[in-house]
Amino acid sequence: MATTAATSGHHDTDTEHHHKLGFIRTYIFSTDHKMIAKQFLIVSLLFLLLGGLLAGLVRWQLGFPGQPIPFIGGLFSDTTAPGGIVLPEFYNALVTMHATFMIFFAIMPLLVGVWGNFLIPLQIGAPDMAFPRLNTASFWISVPAGFLMLASFFVDGGAAGAGWTAYAPLSANSEYSGVHMGQILWLVSLTILGFSSITGAVNYVTTVINMRAPGMTWFRLPLPVWALFITSWLLLLAIPILTGGLIMLLFDQTIGTGFFNAPTDGEPLLWQHIFWYFGHPEVYILILPAMGLVSEVISNRSRKPIFGYHAMVIAIASIAFLGWVVWGHHMFQSGMNPLLGTTFMISTIVIAVPSAIKTFNWMGTLWRGDIHFDAPMLHALAFVSMFVIGGLSGIFMASAPVDIYIHDTYFIVAHLHYVLFGGSLFGIFAGITFWFPKMFGRMMSPTLGKIHFWLTFVAYNAVFFPMHNLGLKGHMRRIYDPNQYEFLQPLQGLNTFITIAAFVLISSQLIFAVNFFWSMYAGEKAVQNPWKSNTLEWTAAGHPPGHGNFPGGTPRVHRGPYEYSSPKSTDDFLPQIVPPDRVLRPAVPHEPSPLVTGD
Amino acid sequence: MTSHAHAVHGDMMVPDQTFEPGMRIYNMKLGMWVFLLSEVMFFTSLIGTYIILRFAHPDHFADPGVVLNVTLTAFNTFFLICSSVTMVKAFAAIQKGDQKGLKLWLLATIVIGAAFVGIQAVEYATLAEEGFVPAAAEYHAVGRAAHEAGAAGAAGAEAPIVGGPLYGATFYTMTGFHGAHVSIGVLCLIFVLIRAMRGSYTAADHRGVELIGLYWHFVDLVWIILFTIVYLI
Amino acid sequence: MTTEAHTQGEHHDPPYMIIFGVLLVMTLAEVGYAFLSLPKVWLAVGLCVMAIWKAILVALYYMHLRWEPPRLWVLVAVPLPLVVILIVAVLTEF
Repeated sequence: MATTAATSGHHDTDTEHHHKLGFIRTYIFSTDHKMIAKQFLIVSLLFLLLGGLLAGLVRWQLGFPGQPIPFIGGLFSDTTAPGGIVLPEFYNALVTMHATFMIFFAIMPLLVGVWGNFLIPLQIGAPDMAFPRLNTASFWISVPAGFLMLASFFVDGGAAGAGWTAYAPLSANSEYSGVHMGQILWLVSLTILGFSSITGAVNYVTTVINMRAPGMTWFRLPLPVWALFITSWLLLLAIPILTGGLIMLLFDQTIGTGFFNAPTDGEPLLWQHIFWYFGHPEVYILILPAMGLVSEVISNRSRKPIFGYHAMVIAIASIAFLGWVVWGHHMFQSGMNPLLGTTFMISTIVIAVPSAIKTFNWMGTLWRGDIHFDAPMLHALAFVSMFVIGGLSGIFMASAPVDIYIHDTYFIVAHLHYVLFGGSLFGIFAGITFWFPKMFGRMMSPTLGKIHFWLTFVAYNAVFFPMHNLGLKGHMRRIYDPNQYEFLQPLQGLNTFITIAAFVLISSQLIFAVNFFWSMYAGEKAVQNPWKSNTLEWTAAGHPPGHGNFPGGTPRVHRGPYEYSSPKSTDDFLPQIVPPDRVLRPAVPHEPSPLVTGD
Repeated sequence: MTSHAHAVHGDMMVPDQTFEPGMRIYNMKLGMWVFLLSEVMFFTSLIGTYIILRFAHPDHFADPGVVLNVTLTAFNTFFLICSSVTMVKAFAAIQKGDQKGLKLWLLATIVIGAAFVGIQAVEYATLAEEGFVPAAAEYHAVGRAAHEAGAAGAAGAEAPIVGGPLYGATFYTMTGFHGAHVSIGVLCLIFVLIRAMRGSYTAADHRGVELIGLYWHFVDLVWIILFTIVYLI
Repeated sequence: MTTEAHTQGEHHDPPYMIIFGVLLVMTLAEVGYAFLSLPKVWLAVGLCVMAIWKAILVALYYMHLRWEPPRLWVLVAVPLPLVVILIVAVLTEF
C-alpha cells in the first residue's frame, strides 16, 4: 500500500530527484513547509521582541511619568520623545503599534504561520502542503507588510496613533490626529498582510481536507490540526471583511470619501461594526491554535488520552461558530442599538460554555495522570490556569451593565493580556519547547527552560493581575497621564510597581532567547521520539524530516492520536502508525484501568 | 514500493487516491473554491456598506437611471454574461481535446472581458464629467438629464445636486474593485491562452482552464448581484 | 482508479446555451421591473430574488456545482449566513 513520497504526483516535487537545491531555494525561497515555518518563527520572534520593547516604553511613561527614558532616551527624536521624555502623541503611537505588532506580526504568525506550516503536513501524513509555492508567497507577502509597518515610525507625523482598532473619525482624518502618512502606511501594511493570511488559509484548508494519510479519518486528527483547520476558516472569512474596511478607511484618509465621517453623513459606528465583525473572530484566531497545541502537550506529558476528544473538537467548532455573533460586546458603550446589545450579551455569555468544556477536559486529562513537569507541561499548565482567569474576567464584560463601567479601563487590558499572554503566548512557549527537537534536532536546556518559565510566570502575573484593580478603580486605557485626574493619583504606586515588574518580565525573555539559539547549536541531540508521542511527525525520520517528510511513503494510520497508557500496549504510548498486529501485548493479563477507555 | 498512484492517463483531474477521500475534487479546484469564499466576504464588506449607508441615508442616493446609465450598463451586463458563455465553451472544447476551440473561445472571453472594463472606464469618465465623483468635497452630481440639458445649452441657474457624496464613494469603491477583479481575470486569461498556445492543456489535464473558468464565472456572479443592487434598486 | 471521481460534466452536455437564454431574459425582465411604479420594498425584494436566481444558475451550471460532490455545496454555503448576519444586524442600527 506504500507509495512514494511524491505521491501527489500532480506537481513535480523534488522528492524523487536528490539534486541539491541552492542556498536561495533552501533557505530564502524555500517551498518546504518546515523551512517556511522556521522563517515565520524567526521573523515573528523578532517582532515579539519589538512589541515587548514598545510595551516597555508605554510602561515607562505610566510608571515614571514625565521622566526621561534611561540609557536610550537620547536616541529618540524631538517629535517622539524630546530629551527622552515621551510625548502624548508618541504615547498614542506606542500603544497602537504595540498592539498592532503583537497581534498581526507576532502572535498570528507564531500560531498560524509557524505551527500551521510545521505541524499540519507532518501530523496528517502529507509530503507537504497542497500548494508549496503559494506557501512561499504567503511568507514573503508578509515581509513588505512588516517593512511598511516599521517604516511608519519614521515618516512625518509618526506612526499611527488611533489604536489598533483605528476607530473613525480619528483614524480617518489627519487633522484630528496629526498623523497622515503613518495611518496610511498602517492601513496599507495590514491590507497586504491580509493576503498572506488568506493564501495561508486556502493552503491549510485544502491540505487538511484532501491530503490526510490513509486511515487518518477526521476524528483521528490530532487536536492541533483541528484547531488550525478551524482557525484557517476563521481567517479565510474574517480577514477579507477587515480588508474591505481598511480600504474604505484608506479612501477616507486619502481620496476624501466620507464612509465613516459624520460631516458627509458617513457612519463612524459602521467602521466599528465592520472592524469588530472581523475583530472578534480574530481573537479566536489568536487563541484556538494555542488551545490545540496545549491539548497535545497536556495529553502527552500526563501520559493520558485527552479527556473527551470529540467534545474538544465540537467545542473548537462551537467557539468558531458562536464567535461570529458576539462582536457587539466590543461596542456596548458605542451608542449602538440597545436591543442589538442585548442579543450580543446573551451570545457572549453562551460562548463561555465551550471554552469551559475545554478547560474541564484539560483537567480531566491531567487527573491521575503520570505528569511530567517539564518546560512544555509547565507552559501548558500556565495556559490553562491563566486562560481561566482571562475567561472569568470576560464574563464580567459579557454583561452589558457591568461593561458600561469597566469598558476602556485597565480591567479590559488585564483581560486581554490574560488571554493573549497568559493564553496564546504560554501556548506558543509550550509549542516551541515541545516541538523544538523536531524542528532543530536538539533538546532545549531543561534548566534554562524552567528558570525562564518561573520568572516569566511570576513577573507576568505581577504585571497584569494588578491591572484588574486599576481598572475597577476607573483607570482608563490608552491614557498618557492618569495623574491629570485626582481620583487616579493614588494609583501611581501601583502603576510604578507594574512597570518594574514589566521590566523584569521583558528581561526574563532573554533567557528564552539564549536557550533557543544556544540549544539550536549545542543542545543535547534529540532521539527520534523524545516525548514518546503517538503522532505522525515523530515517526518521520530526521529532525526536521527531509523534503517530502515520509521517505518510506505515505504512512498508514490505525488509530487516534491519544492512546497513552493504553492497556493494549506494554508501553505507555501507542503511536498512530503501529499496525494492529504489531501492538505489544501486556505480558501479564490485568484488569484494565477504569481510567483508560477500554475498546 | 515505488508505484505511482497516478499512472493512468487522465487522472490529474480526479482527487489524489493516495490520501483519505476528502472533498472528492482535485486540490487546485478545492483551493480555488475556498479562495472564492474569501472573495465573497470581501465583496460583502463593500456591498454591505453600500446597503447599510443607503438604508441610513437614502437622500444620498438616487432612483435608477437618474445618475447612472442603466441602458449602457445593462448592455455591459449582457456582455459579461456572454463572456461566461464563451468561457464555458472554452472549457467544453478542451474537455473534448479541441485545442483550436479552446484558444478561440479563450480569445473571445478575453476580448469581451477587456471590452467590459473599457466600457466601464468610459462610464466612469462620463459620470465624473457629470459631477459624480467619490470625493465628498468635489461631489456635484446633477444627474444625466440635467447634464444633458446643460450641455445642450439650456443654461440657467446651477442645476441642483442629485444625491450626496456617499453615493459616489460607495459606487466607485464597489464597481472599481469589481472592475479590478475583472482586469486581473483578463490578465490571467491571457496567461492561460499563452499556455494553451503552447499546448499545455489536454483533454486529460486542463485544470488551469477549469480554474480560471471558476474565477471568471464568480466575477460574473458578483456583477449580477452588483448590477441589480446598484443600478436597478 | 477512475471511477466515480471521473471528470464531471463530461458525459452529459450541460445546457449552457439554455442557461444563457434564461440569464438574458431575466436580465431584461429585471431592467423592466426596475422601472415599474411599485413601492420601493417590492422593487427591492423582487429584484433581489431575480438577481439571486441568476447567481444560483451561474453557480450551478457554469461553475459546475450541479455535478460536484454534495459536500462541496456545504462548503460553498458556509459564508452565506455570515453575509446575512452582518448586513441584517447592522441595519437594525438605523
